[in-house]
Amino acid sequence: MHRLSAIELRNSFLKGKFSAQEICRFYLNRAMKMDEQLGAFLSLFPEQAMERAKALDEKKASGQVMGKLAGLPIAIKDNIHIEGEITTCGSKFLSNYRAPFSSTVCRLIEKEDAIFIGKTNLDEFAMGSSTQDSAFQSTSNPWDLTCVPGGSSGGSAVAVAARMAPLALGSDTGGSVRQPASFCGIVGFKPTYGRVSRYGLVAYGSSLDQISPFATTVSDTALLMEVIGQHCEHDSTSLPIPGEDYLEGMNKNGLMGMRIGVPREFLEQLAEEPKKIFNDSLKKFQELGAQIVDIDLNILKYALAAYYIIATAEASTNLARFDGIRYGVRAPGAKTLEEIYTMSKEEGFGPEVKRRILLGTFVLSSGYQDAYYRKAQKVRTLIIEKYREAFKLCDLIATPVSPFAAFEKGSIKDPLQMYLEDIYTIPINLAGVPAISVPNGFTSDKKPVGIQLIGPQKADKRVLHAAYAWEQATPFHNAMPPLAQQEI
Amino acid sequence: MTQPTHHSDWETVIGLEIHVELNTKSKLFSSAPNRFGDEPNTNISEVCTGQPGALPVLNKEAVRKAVQFGCAINGKVAAFSKFDRKSYFYPDSPRNFQITQFDEPIVIGGTIIADVNDQEKSFAVNRVHLEDDAGMLKHFTSFTGVDYNRAGVPLIEIVSEPCIHSPAEAVAYCMAVKAILQYIDASDCNMEEGSLRVDANISVRKKGEQGLRPKIEIKNMNSFSNMHLAIEAEIRRQIWEYSHNTDKEIHEIIAQATYRWDPEKKETVMMRRKETADDYRYFPEPDLPPIVLTPAYIDKIRAELPELPRERERRYVEKLGLSHHSAFVITSDKPTADYFEKALEKCTNARALCNWITIEFAGRLKDTGLSLVSIGIEPDHLAKLVTMIDSGKITGRIAKAVADNMMESPGKDPEQIVAENPDYNPVHDTSEIEPLVDKILAENPQSIADFRAGRDKAFAFLVGQVMKLSRGKASPQVVNELLKKKIS
Repeated sequence: MHRLSAIELRNSFLKGKFSAQEICRFYLNRAMKMDEQLGAFLSLFPEQAMERAKALDEKKASGQVMGKLAGLPIAIKDNIHIEGEITTCGSKFLSNYRAPFSSTVCRLIEKEDAIFIGKTNLDEFAMGSSTQDSAFQSTSNPWDLTCVPGGSSGGSAVAVAARMAPLALGSDTGGSVRQPASFCGIVGFKPTYGRVSRYGLVAYGSSLDQISPFATTVSDTALLMEVIGQHCEHDSTSLPIPGEDYLEGMNKNGLMGMRIGVPREFLEQLAEEPKKIFNDSLKKFQELGAQIVDIDLNILKYALAAYYIIATAEASTNLARFDGIRYGVRAPGAKTLEEIYTMSKEEGFGPEVKRRILLGTFVLSSGYQDAYYRKAQKVRTLIIEKYREAFKLCDLIATPVSPFAAFEKGSIKDPLQMYLEDIYTIPINLAGVPAISVPNGFTSDKKPVGIQLIGPQKADKRVLHAAYAWEQATPFHNAMPPLAQQEI
Repeated sequence: MTQPTHHSDWETVIGLEIHVELNTKSKLFSSAPNRFGDEPNTNISEVCTGQPGALPVLNKEAVRKAVQFGCAINGKVAAFSKFDRKSYFYPDSPRNFQITQFDEPIVIGGTIIADVNDQEKSFAVNRVHLEDDAGMLKHFTSFTGVDYNRAGVPLIEIVSEPCIHSPAEAVAYCMAVKAILQYIDASDCNMEEGSLRVDANISVRKKGEQGLRPKIEIKNMNSFSNMHLAIEAEIRRQIWEYSHNTDKEIHEIIAQATYRWDPEKKETVMMRRKETADDYRYFPEPDLPPIVLTPAYIDKIRAELPELPRERERRYVEKLGLSHHSAFVITSDKPTADYFEKALEKCTNARALCNWITIEFAGRLKDTGLSLVSIGIEPDHLAKLVTMIDSGKITGRIAKAVADNMMESPGKDPEQIVAENPDYNPVHDTSEIEPLVDKILAENPQSIADFRAGRDKAFAFLVGQVMKLSRGKASPQVVNELLKKKIS
């Protein structure tokens, strides 16, 4: 069963090959057994999920029309609210926080008859690129347990890569879905900013955050996007446009006649092996009827700096609410108001979160705002303009997802080095454009590598369709981590 | 503090910041009800309590009311304005940042025309901006609670230029602002309930001096009379300090600080010094797009503005023949002016109605804290009272007693009050009044002589004597007729 794509699995359910309860039991069982060594899930919902599966079987038996995600188990990153369930954000501070309302995405998913099977691990408050900076556990890469799965949505990526769930949701602020998708050999898609509602997603960098799907195939990704890509009145930054049928017209000739832009100068620093893998894929694009064009995106060398100013500035205020007054863990020893504030934060937050709050507070301080925050905003505006210019010359842009494949746990100690992991994914969030990470082969030591396809604003469909054509012409998406191959 | 307030060498400079709670149905950024006086923490949502994952959605009704006010004061309504985050930690602030408008407010400039000692004066408004209110702390013996019912209530902050020069001007300015807000139905403007709150920035300087001396901000002035007293006391204090510390530098004598008015001690009391400027780390609110208003939207609101207090005042002077002063007094409180208009539907004697409202009943209501509306005296009943006087059914003296009874049993028809009380029915019977007239004429031969010599005052004296003898019960009309007949 775990070799089926989400669409195949749903169709099997609809045709009566499997009941929802069989599917649910199968994946819950897999998750419970496999996750001991992977650490992808922070919580599993066996009772609720089985109850839900039973209700779906009954619904189907009564002849009602079933939703687009009928019977499909789905894993949710633990910074997205499901009403009544704990949302920890991977933080000690929220270890007791029960979500009082459901995120818009979870409500949409529920409406389409999917089953929530659990919440997945993440770097605390989605700040990280390794899923090692969670207050609760570290997550391992199913291709190599000594390596990180990427992050911050590493838990969701591993849940899908190890086939513990056919679908999962993550959130992508600077690459937090695309980079772990690349490290785990699956598909991760960051939609246009505003395409998917952020209501019920615990904010990190509000102007950059976007809830994003993981799946093993582009079609499954497109299916989940059809469900969650809806305008939402609870999110003022939600695009005021109707949802789209991403699966419609998807075909393997999707790259024919496409102009693929490559920012060569920006990619000069790339190491030998990843450079070779990337250059080989450019040849493949040409074979598939696409044309490669050079584009100038030199401005992107400033993207990382601009990102860490804007994201942390927003984060420093978004996380100010975690003060121990209304919810979360109040430091038990605190006696005065001042102590509630300082001790709750001191005890509740990990070092990376503290670092980013401090950085964000600093760049917004009077006397420093002009040099940092305002300048970063100007850079961001320039980046948006440069992308717009680039897209006059090409239909899509191709880059690697990450400078390297999955790295060993504990091998990156310098936070700046860790930030550099996101150099190819961060500019996309600054520009608010859609981008996908699709499997693009393996390194010599058998670690997956992805390729990133970037489209202009709102061209989510174009990106998905090109990625589909790529996937159909390459064998990589059929690869499954050895430990996930056995039927459990 | 023996120095006189208006020391002739000194000049006062006052700038006022008025926070007004808009009377919208729901809050500024959530659908929670905007209502005062309910059980703590009942009018709240995930937005008002700063839950993680909650997002603000702007209330269009609040925008409309802010624009109406901008149009009413002839300010420039900004086609583009935006919200900013203002960071500060306090338990009443659910996100630990306020959403306000920092450098691009919704209204720029404007003029308030007010009556200061019966002289028309115009005051410049610097800006008007939208922001959300904080919750309220409630102190108990062993702990402090927070009530978030008020958190998120829409406010406009109206900032004057430092163009106000006396306590009387400050009060007149505020009364004019309040009247406009009431006329456009933007706020209840109830100072006791805090829906209109005034902060005064006060400094004094030697006449002719350029530049401003350090200012003192005064809070907690919850009525116009307190405000008058507070500003007066603060001016007196500052002049006294400068006059008695001539050996010190100016900033050593009065250092920038926040004071509050202590109504018991009748003096301003220091709350906190402002040694360094607060760093609120303002930056644009990423969760809210800018407010973009079309000229058509603004023009429509301007064209549809209801009658404003100055316009109504002019109408009362021109169409109803009220004195400028009476018209100003009756129009400066919208509910009173509306009451007056209702009464006018049943009685055409505008001047008498106005007198009864603004002098007779205002005097009777003075210490009750009530108004004609809130005590429950119907406009119809007031109209009847005046009509009874005009038709000679009751005398002015009886009318005053009837008014006392109306205060005692509001809602009771004055016609019924008169009918039920034999003392209130003037004697029309000539046979009863004639002996009294004869008696007075016999006692006052000199007055008769004076009258015949053409002195009208003598006649009025005789009428008065007869009325006195009848203990006010004789119909003045009948007395008049009889007297005329007998001595002409």
